[in-house]
Amino acid sequence: MKVLLPFHLNKVGAGFPSPATDYVEDDIDLNVHLIKNIPSTFLIRVQGKSMNNVGIHDGDLLLVDRSLNPKNFSTIVANVNEELVVKTFIKEKNQSFLTSESEKLNNKINLGKNPEIFIWGVVTYVIHAL
Amino acid sequence: MLYSKKKIALVDCNSFYVSCERLFSPSIIKKPVVVLSSNDGCVISRSTEAKVLGIKMGEPYFKVKKIIKENDVKTFSTNFSLYGDISRRVMKTLKQFSPQMEIYSIDEAFLDLSSIKDEDLLEHGCEIRRVVLKWTGIPTSIGIATTKTLSKAANYIAKKEKSGVVDLINSKQIDKLLKEIKISDVWGVGRQLTKFYIGNKINTAYDLKNMHNGWIKKNTNVFGSRTAMELKGIPCISLEPHQEKRESCCVSRSFGKKVIKLEELSEAITTHCLNAAEKIRLDNQTVKRITVFIRTSPFQVNKNYYANSKNIDLPIKTNDSIALIKQALIALEYIYKKGYQYQKTGVIFSGLKDVDVYNRNLFSTINNEEKRIKLMKAIDYTNIKYGRHALSIAQAGFKKKWNTKRNFSSQINTTCFNFLPTVRIS
Repeated sequence: MKVLLPFHLNKVGAGFPSPATDYVEDDIDLNVHLIKNIPSTFLIRVQGKSMNNVGIHDGDLLLVDRSLNPKNFSTIVANVNEELVVKTFIKEKNQSFLTSESEKLNNKINLGKNPEIFIWGVVTYVIHAL
Repeated sequence: MLYSKKKIALVDCNSFYVSCERLFSPSIIKKPVVVLSSNDGCVISRSTEAKVLGIKMGEPYFKVKKIIKENDVKTFSTNFSLYGDISRRVMKTLKQFSPQMEIYSIDEAFLDLSSIKDEDLLEHGCEIRRVVLKWTGIPTSIGIATTKTLSKAANYIAKKEKSGVVDLINSKQIDKLLKEIKISDVWGVGRQLTKFYIGNKINTAYDLKNMHNGWIKKNTNVFGSRTAMELKGIPCISLEPHQEKRESCCVSRSFGKKVIKLEELSEAITTHCLNAAEKIRLDNQTVKRITVFIRTSPFQVNKNYYANSKNIDLPIKTNDSIALIKQALIALEYIYKKGYQYQKTGVIFSGLKDVDVYNRNLFSTINNEEKRIKLMKAIDYTNIKYGRHALSIAQAGFKKKWNTKRNFSSQINTTCFNFLPTVRIS
């Protein structure tokens, strides 16, 4: 990870030294704040339809952390039918399901009954251009 | 015991290039997959399913084309931008398990686990394997033993085990396992040494372990003796956690098609120089000597073979791309001969030394050196930000017809904004 150091804090000049010198902080580095675990976090682009209920749209960037375990209602990336797709993870009475907006709730995928489906990672942030 | 016992783990990624390709393409997870070397020449990585089909490591593509077609084997050209990033992620993950670590290659690392209790080692190995798989998606095999050579041997066995982890510390099975390892598969035993050993009836790792050290020392060299000692469990090769700065830097490629013209060779040499110069500037080093080499294909029948190289010693060390290219092209013109079909060319920068800030300007042949240093910085910054070759030198050419063939590249690059992996919303 890059560390940016402020270089010329204060020129040795004739005037009164800046009172802010002692409080100079680094530029904000989004990597530090948005990526908790560097080796397990991937940047992935969304293609296709939108997921309006969670605010993910075509062309958005997702930060996906593979090291996390999904919680109830986590947005996740999963391997379904040999393809990586975005889904919502739901826990009900010791059973886990995957759903998406377009599917009716009774259409949800039961993870226990579909062992070939696996969760690839947990979406931690969406970057959406306005 | 005189010395405290070392516990070394070798972590090796399984079919690494194939595993990288599978990470973002779940459709090829259980299918046979191979990755081809540059110019789609030879098979350099195979999935287990491809191994079962009888595709051998290093086999030329044209020889296995039939098997590939008949069995619908998924074939990829190398995508080193992706493999490099995934490798860094694996290494960063491993680093959490031991501060003492040696990155041995793009897909292997030695870890010092001496602080782990003997009885916990196997479980610890399984935990390393589990975390690397979860975080990076890359399956690994782990061999644990008292020396590097034995950990390599343990890893060789681990590759065949379902658990993927083999711990030889305090194991009574060592000799039994060493008998299963052919002498050619022992770490540090090359092709020549293999021939010599087999000629002397040393056929397995076990046979070598039981040879008298005096005999080995007399008949091979210090490296041969070290290997044998390490098989006996006496550590002779230490972990090298710090990566030494490089002493030379080579960039070479074989062409996608045969090249005859000097202009095209010059484009290639210029491109290689730019790549190499960028690398050494990143390490804050300068070059003392440039070597340029060219050669025709050694496999073409009925055609004359020509290979030559030329060294140029620079009067003053530099890492300025423009100055280096100038010298490299002089060297190229010196060895270029008309009428040959060239297959490969490359540059080697050697005598690398750290940038010396104090006498940089003395005797410099570059006018306005300060400005040139700034120019190089600007070029490097632009290329890191906007991708390799965003800012280049016209001499490097635009069409680059000679460029390496990569017909089956997956094009995914986890470090480049324009080629990120994608997911669909269903």
